Amino acid sequence: MIEFHLDPRSGVAPYLQIVQQVRQALLLGLLSEGDQLPTVKQVVARVAINPNTVLKAYRDLEREGLVAAKPGVGTFVTRTLSQASLTEHEPLRNDLAAWLKRARGAGLTEAAIEALFTSTFRATAEEER
Amino acid sequence: MTAILEAHALGMRYGRRQALTDCTLNIPPGHVVGLVGPNGAGKSTLLKLACGLLNPTSGSIRVLGNAPGSGPEQLARVGFLAQDAPVYPHLSVADHLRLGAHLNPRWDQDFAERRVAQLDLDPTQKAGKLSGGQRAQLALTVAAGKRPELLLLDEPVASLDPLARREFLKHLMESVADNDTSVILSSHLISDLERVCDYLIVLVSSRVRLAGEVDQITAAHHRIVCTRREPDTLPAGLEVVLAEHTDRQSTFVVRTDAPLPAGDWAAESLSMEDLVLTYMETAAANPRRARQDSEVAR
Amino acid sequence: MSWLTWRQFRTQTLVAAALLAAAAVYLLITGTQLRHSYSADLITCQSPSAHYSCAGLLNGLQNDYNGALDLFALLVLAAPALVGIFWGAPLIAGELERGTYYMTWNQSVTRTRWLAVKLAAIALASIAAAGLVSLLMTWWASPLDTISGNRFGTQAFNARNVVPLGYAAFAFALGVTLGLLIRRTLPAMAATLAIFIAVQLVVTVLVRPNVMPATVTTVPINQTTMSQAVRFDRAREVTGPVTIDLPAPPGSWNLSQTPALNSAGQPIQTSEILTCWNQLISRGPVAIKGDGNPPFASLGACLAPLNLHVDITYQPADRYWPLQWIETAFYAALAALLAAFCFRRIRRLG
Repeated sequence: MIEFHLDPRSGVAPYLQIVQQVRQALLLGLLSEGDQLPTVKQVVARVAINPNTVLKAYRDLEREGLVAAKPGVGTFVTRTLSQASLTEHEPLRNDLAAWLKRARGAGLTEAAIEALFTSTFRATAEEER
Repeated sequence: MTAILEAHALGMRYGRRQALTDCTLNIPPGHVVGLVGPNGAGKSTLLKLACGLLNPTSGSIRVLGNAPGSGPEQLARVGFLAQDAPVYPHLSVADHLRLGAHLNPRWDQDFAERRVAQLDLDPTQKAGKLSGGQRAQLALTVAAGKRPELLLLDEPVASLDPLARREFLKHLMESVADNDTSVILSSHLISDLERVCDYLIVLVSSRVRLAGEVDQITAAHHRIVCTRREPDTLPAGLEVVLAEHTDRQSTFVVRTDAPLPAGDWAAESLSMEDLVLTYMETAAANPRRARQDSEVAR
Repeated sequence: MSWLTWRQFRTQTLVAAALLAAAAVYLLITGTQLRHSYSADLITCQSPSAHYSCAGLLNGLQNDYNGALDLFALLVLAAPALVGIFWGAPLIAGELERGTYYMTWNQSVTRTRWLAVKLAAIALASIAAAGLVSLLMTWWASPLDTISGNRFGTQAFNARNVVPLGYAAFAFALGVTLGLLIRRTLPAMAATLAIFIAVQLVVTVLVRPNVMPATVTTVPINQTTMSQAVRFDRAREVTGPVTIDLPAPPGSWNLSQTPALNSAGQPIQTSEILTCWNQLISRGPVAIKGDGNPPFASLGACLAPLNLHVDITYQPADRYWPLQWIETAFYAALAALLAAFCFRRIRRLG
């Protein structure tokens, strides 16, 4: 059974940290298909966080198709994330590399590129909500 | 759904001193609410009004749909834990549980005993001999043992060491997970609130300065840093909460319900602690201005 | 709620029970001794070969037990005050001071019910304790009370029969009320003691004599009445007043007396009795007390033709029980008012 930890200084919302930690566990092979995630109560008893946070994280993971909740039993892993899945997105990676090259060619500094990326990322995330 | 706490122009006056002024709140159920503000802001007063230990001098307050403290049924639905967790020093731990059992029809003795065992407390130990953390846990057990719908906690962890604080919050969250209990928790330790609260009320100098769901609030506030400019040169729709200037640079904390437009600035989001501090600074500058979220419908 | 009341009151109950038991044992032992001495003295002084008069012998018995009488009476008088201080004052003040009211008044009992159970239970205990102490004291002191014939004296009235129950109820309610108002235990205890004593003084000295209208009787000064005189004295100057103390009817409460008055109702001067007085002292030293002593009786015979009289204001002996009940009811009413105030006040703490 994996354990979660919360980093209050990371600037990342608590529920996102849980999502990331589940993904990481899947990537590292600590969780495989059929494994049960800790119950909300178990998480909350180990890490003093709001139960809704855990519920939200698990719901997000369920929406991504990584886990499935069985009412009355628990939440179980349905799909693993392997390194292979990252290679599935080779075209996206190439597009990104090309864009970065163009941005540097336009004279943007590293920090400017990051600022541009972050603000656009957030703006589009907002729109999708 | 009935709000756990509904207040309209709530005010509380002690002689000359106005402890709460014109507080309007509508807190939906199913949240862990953080009530934060400097000492003397009115947090304790609000909690005592909510459990019926005080009667308001102006305005109204309803808790779980009823007047606070009105009869045994209402008292059974709301639990309260006071600052420094007062307990009866000459009564043992077990006696305190008996107190709960005799005074509450819906007392869950199994839960209480399990909790006491979990905490490694000796049931025959006099409560006066317990450490601060143990007292807080005992008081929480007594408050939660009657399975209330709402728990009100007044600075429960203020005088506890970090380990005791963490343990207390864990047990509190377990109760929330078990029973769907709503919690209103006052503290000036914002780091603790950040972990557990999903609804925030900022109370400064007797007024509500900010109230709303944490997700919505954090999404709506941004800190933008740009070259020195005046607030009114910012795009419309951005409400400036705080403005700071050096000779070259301006930093604004703005609030907008729409997505932040692109602009000639660097924008970042604020942590809960930053948000609270921002509103506390603003309140110090504008004592009479209150600001609250009304979009709290679920 | 009854469990909590008992659990919080457990120590006080045990302490009180222990003290009462000790007091009871002591009073029973000494009281039995007193009764034996009393019977023995009566037999002695009533036998034909008695060397001492009954009055003298019983007087001696009184003197022997005076110290004990005062001490026990003091304990009976103190009992209600102790109840008010140790049972009444901390009741609400203790919870307020320690902050435990945050816990207890947020359980599923209203403050009204909390107070009702606590007040009822401990008031009952207070009244029972006071009743027991008063019962023991009344029993213990009855031979001495018979000898002195004075049931209305402060120590005698306040520390017997029914009134201590009223005092206890009042003192308890007073303590609870002051604890609620002052919110701190020690100051509430001090205030309870001070106010209780003040009320006791006012009621005993100022109120009780006037509860029912007193009887006034005119007693002529003659041989018969003077033979019972307690005191008779002239002034140094012939223009000065004459001091006289006649007893009120037996068993009654002597409230006040006028000085010796002439038939026109005016106080006489020493000059008017000088002839009889000089006749008296020419026969030898004058006894201070009457009690049938020839000099006072003959003085009375000498004064009779002067038609002097004394007006005595008193409460008849049969007023004893009405006064006891009225005073008890009065204190009980005060207690009830204080309790009602507490019920109202506890609903809004502010």
